[in-house]
Amino acid sequence: MNVKNLVLVPEALVVAAAVVLLLGGRLGWFRSVTRRYLPAATAAVALVALGVELWAGASLSTYFGGGLIQDRFALFAKAAVLLAAAIVLAVADWTAEDSLSIGLAMPLLAAFGVMVAASAGDLVALWAGLELAAAAGVVMVSLRRPDLALRLLVSGGVASALLLIGLAFLYATVGTSDLTAMRDVLFSGAPTIALAVPLFLAISGLAVRATLAPFHLAGIPAGLGASPLGAGLVLGLVAAAAAVVAIKLAAVLTPIPTVYSSYLEVIAAVAMVGGGAAALAVRSPRARMAYLAAGQIGWVAAGLVSHHRAGLAGSLFLLGAFAVAATCGPAVMGRADGGEHALAGMGALRPARAAGLALAMLSLAGAPPLAGFFGELTVGAALAQSGHFGLLALGILGSLMSLAAAVGTLRLIYLQSPLEDARRGAPLPVLTRLSSIGAVAFCFVIAAYGLLSNPILGLAEQGAEALGLR
Amino acid sequence: MILLTIAAASPTPAPTVPGAGIFTSPLLLSLLVWVPVAAAIAIAVLPNPRGRYDVLMKQIGFFTNLGLVFILFIAYNQFEAFLPTAQYEEKVPWLQAIGASYHLGVDGPGMVMLILSGLIGIISVLASLGVRERVRSYFCLLLLTQSAINGAIVARDMFVLILFWSAAVVPIAILILGWGGPRRRAAAWRLVGYWGLGTGALVIGTMTLYAAAGGSTFDMDVLLKAAISPRIQVAIALAMVVAAATRLPLFPFHGWARDVYAESPIGVNVVVAGSAARLGAYLLLRTVVAAEPAAAHLLSPLLAALAALTVGYAALAALRTVDVRQMGAYLSMIPGGITMLGLAALTPLAIAGSVLSLFTGGMAAALIVGACATLSDRAQSRSLQVLSGLAPRMPILAWLLTIAGLAVLGVPLLGTFLAELLTFFGSFKNQPIGAFAVAAGLVVAAVALASVFRRVLFGSPNPDAPGVSDASLGETWYLSLLAGALLWIGLFPSGPKLPGTDTPLFDQGLVNVMAAGISDIASPYTGATPTPAP
Repeated sequence: MNVKNLVLVPEALVVAAAVVLLLGGRLGWFRSVTRRYLPAATAAVALVALGVELWAGASLSTYFGGGLIQDRFALFAKAAVLLAAAIVLAVADWTAEDSLSIGLAMPLLAAFGVMVAASAGDLVALWAGLELAAAAGVVMVSLRRPDLALRLLVSGGVASALLLIGLAFLYATVGTSDLTAMRDVLFSGAPTIALAVPLFLAISGLAVRATLAPFHLAGIPAGLGASPLGAGLVLGLVAAAAAVVAIKLAAVLTPIPTVYSSYLEVIAAVAMVGGGAAALAVRSPRARMAYLAAGQIGWVAAGLVSHHRAGLAGSLFLLGAFAVAATCGPAVMGRADGGEHALAGMGALRPARAAGLALAMLSLAGAPPLAGFFGELTVGAALAQSGHFGLLALGILGSLMSLAAAVGTLRLIYLQSPLEDARRGAPLPVLTRLSSIGAVAFCFVIAAYGLLSNPILGLAEQGAEALGLR
Repeated sequence: MILLTIAAASPTPAPTVPGAGIFTSPLLLSLLVWVPVAAAIAIAVLPNPRGRYDVLMKQIGFFTNLGLVFILFIAYNQFEAFLPTAQYEEKVPWLQAIGASYHLGVDGPGMVMLILSGLIGIISVLASLGVRERVRSYFCLLLLTQSAINGAIVARDMFVLILFWSAAVVPIAILILGWGGPRRRAAAWRLVGYWGLGTGALVIGTMTLYAAAGGSTFDMDVLLKAAISPRIQVAIALAMVVAAATRLPLFPFHGWARDVYAESPIGVNVVVAGSAARLGAYLLLRTVVAAEPAAAHLLSPLLAALAALTVGYAALAALRTVDVRQMGAYLSMIPGGITMLGLAALTPLAIAGSVLSLFTGGMAAALIVGACATLSDRAQSRSLQVLSGLAPRMPILAWLLTIAGLAVLGVPLLGTFLAELLTFFGSFKNQPIGAFAVAAGLVVAAVALASVFRRVLFGSPNPDAPGVSDASLGETWYLSLLAGALLWIGLFPSGPKLPGTDTPLFDQGLVNVMAAGISDIASPYTGATPTPAP
């Protein structure tokens, strides 16, 4: 069998599973016995898709006239989101979700959106992938909080408009929407203010999608109001989709970094410091996790400021860690997000989930020796190589505040005595075999990411190289 | 004779010692780093319904540390004294894209730190035997802390160093938050804040060094020997000074010390004061004194000033405080100031003194904070206005506290004496003002100690004070081990010998071991050494 024919199988599997789940839920196909095994089956589909991606995704190929490209960048990003989707489906507390079929389908569709953006060969596919991921997030939020979903939809619409204006102007300037061709044209062009303004808009649009401070005003409240899975989608997968788009755009714009790097530098700095400070200031565990995620996505943006291969590879490497931790973290937390007391004694009552939650918090804060630490240090090395020591210092400041915030949550989880349910405010996640396995797998991924970071970072390097960076 | 041996550090064949050659492992240092992690994981996953196996958890912690000390004993006795290069090296490519490798190795000063960490590890477990709540979590975190400290000592790659240096912050902060005194929250946040600042400075310094050296590797062998302009050397050195000053601690970066030492559980106190804090001076030795001679020369007055201010401030604060644990906290800063004076002097003798004071200072600091904490526990009061006339009622603790105070001051027969002697002899020429200021600070500290001892230990008993009891067996053991180690180094700095021979009984001598590497570190500064008269 020609392996090239299997490259799009993961996408097909993910979409087919999502469609079956949505139709099945709508038409009442699933009986109660079937429903019990649906999460495991859906997680298995995501795992199979991941396996196929890792096996067949190494072959380089182009589809739909260059609209989709399978390269190392796509392989890395797709593998990361499929892993995040598989774990989040396994670890979710389904008693805390509003709809089983939609709850199972939306993470798959969001992952599909990221996959489309990751393998996008032109601006249209890039934008479409992002919108698809964001739409899945809106659907999840709307199940519990239609008001917040509307807010997310409107702000997302504004973000989309800003992005489209920027991309349209870019297209008009270079005369092509093909990313590789655009880069070649920009090599012979000069940076102009006329190009900087639309890029300013496009970056702002992406910042809204990625919930980067100070553009987090819709994303984070929506994440706080949604179900645990919905929060993971908005804070993790949608932000990851925006980051993927940003990395691909940054690779295109490397010939003219002056038109965007100053603005991106400010955004990254504000996100890193603001995220850490806000995480320190808030009390709710979910809010704390949301701001930790916002701070770490700031590091991803910081890697793009260096506008060379090491920086983009560092961002991609960190993005993998971020996608898993930010998507699965709220799901691991489950309903125990009402306030500080909700997590009290979780370490004794739900040890696997507690360990997962602790590792997610610490990884998003950049604590050693977890995935986030290695990602942030790799980005830090790239920033040092490119001479951005001020940004590096601000990033470290943000990480230190994040670390202090994460330690506060760890104290709740492990050092406070369990409270009765009435005083807890929210019940702890229901204990199931699948969720325990998912939590253990999540812990393993977060802990092993750093120790196995050489092949992972090597793949990220190849990913950056695939974007045309040398 | 000893002084000249250390100063010259001439390569002489080391006599065979017991333990040498009986066991070799290419993973010796990795064992020291990862065995505590494995034990911590074992403790974490072991079922412990209603604390039924709490004793087993403590035993795992104790025997893990005992095993580590055994491995260290072998490493120590197989160590090639006077060999300037790193030994027991392990190097595995890791993050090749950014040039980070899993590179471990240890030279003389590193071996001194490892011995310190090993002893402190076992002593901290003994000091923690009284822990009753959440025993599993406590010992798990204690072992992780020890692993991080060992990792930072043996790291030969700056990336690995950052990893382990920063990894110690989280478990120590949680230990304080979970098992500390009434003001534990403030103590933990101060620790996170100050040590976080130090970690940030270390990362910035390292990244600057990495970028200045071409951005291709984090390996210390390359990075610390790279030709870098003096201006960048100074910037890097300043970052490293901040990192070291927050950890050691040095004035004005000492804000965490009072609260942490006063509020932490005793076992954590011992680890922090004994080995974790010494990493600051060790970092400075490695990255500034050994690697950036131009910056070291330029910043040496600053370092001497920091040393003098630290000792002076600590002594005055100890004189004024009315809390016995805070007094211990302030006094524990003094050995760090002396180590820093040695590093500021930049002479081979002073550097040798500062390396020796890494060990003796760590032991003395752990002893004074441990003794003060145990005294306050046993006397049921921390107030120096309440405690009085305790010596007849707690003779063991009174003796140990007295030895602790004398160790901080550096009186003869104790290891700190030798370290201070080397430091002062080596620094009076290059940093006379700093040396005199530090000496004056020691005099003030002596006054503070004398006045406290006179009242608290030997004054007339206070009838209104709560009841007191002497140290328990576990407390006696951990404090005696600290005092014994200081006495051992004070009496046998070159190790005990068979009578009439140069054959070591079982210890080739800490000063011989530490000499390996010092000659290399001190080589840029040999011109400043006064030549001994023929």
